[in-house]
Amino acid sequence: MSELSLLIVGLFLPLFPLSMVFNVVFSRVRAPLPRGVLLLAWPHLGLLLLGLLDVAIPDWVAVWALATAALYALRALAVREVGIWAGFMATSAWALLWVPLLADASDFALRYDALGFSAPLVLLALLIATLERRFGAAFTSLYAGLGRAMPRFAGVLVAVVLAVIATPLFPGFFTLLTTIVTASPGVALALAGVWLLWSWAGARLIQGLIVGADGTEPVADIGLAATWAYAAALVGLVLAGVSLTGGLL
Amino acid sequence: MEPLILLLHGLPLLSALLTHLLSPLLGQRAVRISVSFSVLTFVAAAVLLGYAVSGAAGLQVALGPSWGLLLFDPLSALMALVVSGISLIVHLYAVRYMAEEAGYGRFFALLDLMTAVLLLMVAAGDLITLLVAWHLVGVLLYLLLGHDTGSHSAYRYGFWTFFTYRIGDLPLLLAAALLYHAYGTWSLPEIFAHISSDPDILTPFGLPLAETVAVLLAVAAFARSAQFLLHTWLPYTMEGPTPVSALMHAGIVNAGGFLINRFAPVFVHTGDVLHWLFVVGLVTAVIGSVLMLTQNDVKKALGYSTMGQMGFMIMECGVGAFSLAIYHLIAHGVFKGTLFLGAGGVIREARGDDGVPKDPLYKFVVERRPARRPMPWMLMAAITLAVPVTILIAAHWLVAQDFFQKQGAIVLLFFGWVTGAQLLFSTYHTRTENLGRLVALIVASFTVVVLGYAVISHAFDVFLYPDPVFRAQIYAAADIDILWFDILVGVMTTVIVLGWVLTYYGERRGSRGASRVNRLWMNFYALISREFYVTDLYAWVARSVLAGAARLNVWLRWA
Repeated sequence: MSELSLLIVGLFLPLFPLSMVFNVVFSRVRAPLPRGVLLLAWPHLGLLLLGLLDVAIPDWVAVWALATAALYALRALAVREVGIWAGFMATSAWALLWVPLLADASDFALRYDALGFSAPLVLLALLIATLERRFGAAFTSLYAGLGRAMPRFAGVLVAVVLAVIATPLFPGFFTLLTTIVTASPGVALALAGVWLLWSWAGARLIQGLIVGADGTEPVADIGLAATWAYAAALVGLVLAGVSLTGGLL
Repeated sequence: MEPLILLLHGLPLLSALLTHLLSPLLGQRAVRISVSFSVLTFVAAAVLLGYAVSGAAGLQVALGPSWGLLLFDPLSALMALVVSGISLIVHLYAVRYMAEEAGYGRFFALLDLMTAVLLLMVAAGDLITLLVAWHLVGVLLYLLLGHDTGSHSAYRYGFWTFFTYRIGDLPLLLAAALLYHAYGTWSLPEIFAHISSDPDILTPFGLPLAETVAVLLAVAAFARSAQFLLHTWLPYTMEGPTPVSALMHAGIVNAGGFLINRFAPVFVHTGDVLHWLFVVGLVTAVIGSVLMLTQNDVKKALGYSTMGQMGFMIMECGVGAFSLAIYHLIAHGVFKGTLFLGAGGVIREARGDDGVPKDPLYKFVVERRPARRPMPWMLMAAITLAVPVTILIAAHWLVAQDFFQKQGAIVLLFFGWVTGAQLLFSTYHTRTENLGRLVALIVASFTVVVLGYAVISHAFDVFLYPDPVFRAQIYAAADIDILWFDILVGVMTTVIVLGWVLTYYGERRGSRGASRVNRLWMNFYALISREFYVTDLYAWVARSVLAGAARLNVWLRWA
């Protein structure tokens, strides 16, 4: 029963190949709102099930989780569809939740960590919808540079991607910092490697979307109100990161 | 004092915010806000340095309960002045240089943010603040280098910088984790106090903590200061705006030297790590200088020159001359910033030149001037070898009469002698009308430079490390066995003098040298022109990783 419970939890706190289920579901859901709900709810379901099923977690799950996180971070390097990229990054980040879980982190800290990983991805899902509305698809290297065609959108996109790849002062940074500090040296090294892959994947996404000469077709940028709304959300994330500091206090 | 410290850190942040928000309203005039705030930041830093010089340093300002500690000590006060000074110059230069670029206001806002983060980095009094600032420098530099979103190459090379910096972030992160594990605090002053009282503590996997942390810090410094194998980003980032190149080469790249100085209380309890620093710095200095000599692009040559200088800076740390490294990074920042900001003018002048060298043949044939008689070679050789060593010993004797007891000082003296001698040696072949006058001028300027260097570096030593016992400990940590030291100095001297003799005879023989040697030389030149294939190797590795990731995605059907 315990193994089955572990596998069920492994669907929501992704462990490869169970992680493929989330990515299939995420790619089928196209509307931004359900995508946002999915991104917010999925890891919390895992944490909820973990409490309900009373699963005994063997130590080797940490290795499995780290391998899953590394696999999806590596695969995100070669993804051009922004939706798939968001799904892979979510999978990679949530898999890392097993590490503080095994280190007996509090329920509040785990929920905070999950939210800190998911919230920037929700913003990215909204941006993906904007791209799909304007271009029919959200792919890197598909359109001419958005940095010049849609400067507001490009600015928001860069900030959101930086939040996704756990740049200071966003919550992901403090979560990873806490996890690395409390982990054993080997696990800390693996976590650092996954973080490096995230940075690489994020930079490739930014370059694929915003860099390039002006396109011939004029494209409408996002409105000022939307820009302010995104900015407020990002400032909220920074404040959450700084004030809660990922359980370091 | 505390309000002034908070003002120093708050001004650039406020400037970034105001410049960004008011750009749509004020247009290009918004950058006046940024420049004005830069002036104020510089003034605040200068006043704080004044306080530090008068002995008022040693203050800590806490922005938060567990992190956000700002140190006000001699190192942070000095570095704050350097950062704000270079930032001010870059701001002033960029007002006109960037005026026709898109995203003018954004550029200045990013420049202000970079200034704020650099100021935070030099004043960080705890590990979290240091990590945050260290990480953000890389991110902001990436955005500044990629200011022109229309340029794929600017982003490509900006990414190289970003990725190398991220590689350097991780050892610092691991070092922070080890220190927190060991002492249960993030505060740097507390950690240094613990290390001083018990330097022999072990890490969880049984290695000495001080040595392990020092190695990790050194790797972080190597990535930031473009040491060999982590250097490829530096010469290739010339696609970014020139003010950013100036800021990067004059300020940001020096962060490695700063980090080693900040963690001097850790490095003082290590021995082998300092020797390792010396070797890495030496290799980088030599390779950077060799690569610089083979460049035909002035900005790329400056990039490799920076690499060589950074190697020398790390080498200085390796011999225990920590404060000299700080002086070096400031001096380098000033002259390299000037060179970068003047590079455009040099290129413009070169375009207006007919390109015909004004050598003796030109003067003999075109200008009808008589060919000069060369100076006797033996006299030049005597001047070359004797003059620099006399000046160096006299200058060092003037500031510290016990300098012969420090191996590090002798090593630096040795390098000073080689540099001075090389300078004089090269004048023998200089095509000048009045060689005697040129040699006299070189000797005079060399004397001024060496005297200035010796006196100022001594003043830095006393200012940054007022405790004479600690100063002696750093030099002692870098010492090696005296027999080996003497052998190494002897071997190096012989190699260099032999090199000069070979060069002399090689030039006298002209093209009559053995063809095998020529072939070997050409192969070596080809190797240098491909920059030892390091960049090619990294590009191949990156392509392989991306291809592997793509293959995995196909096998796993993108799920």
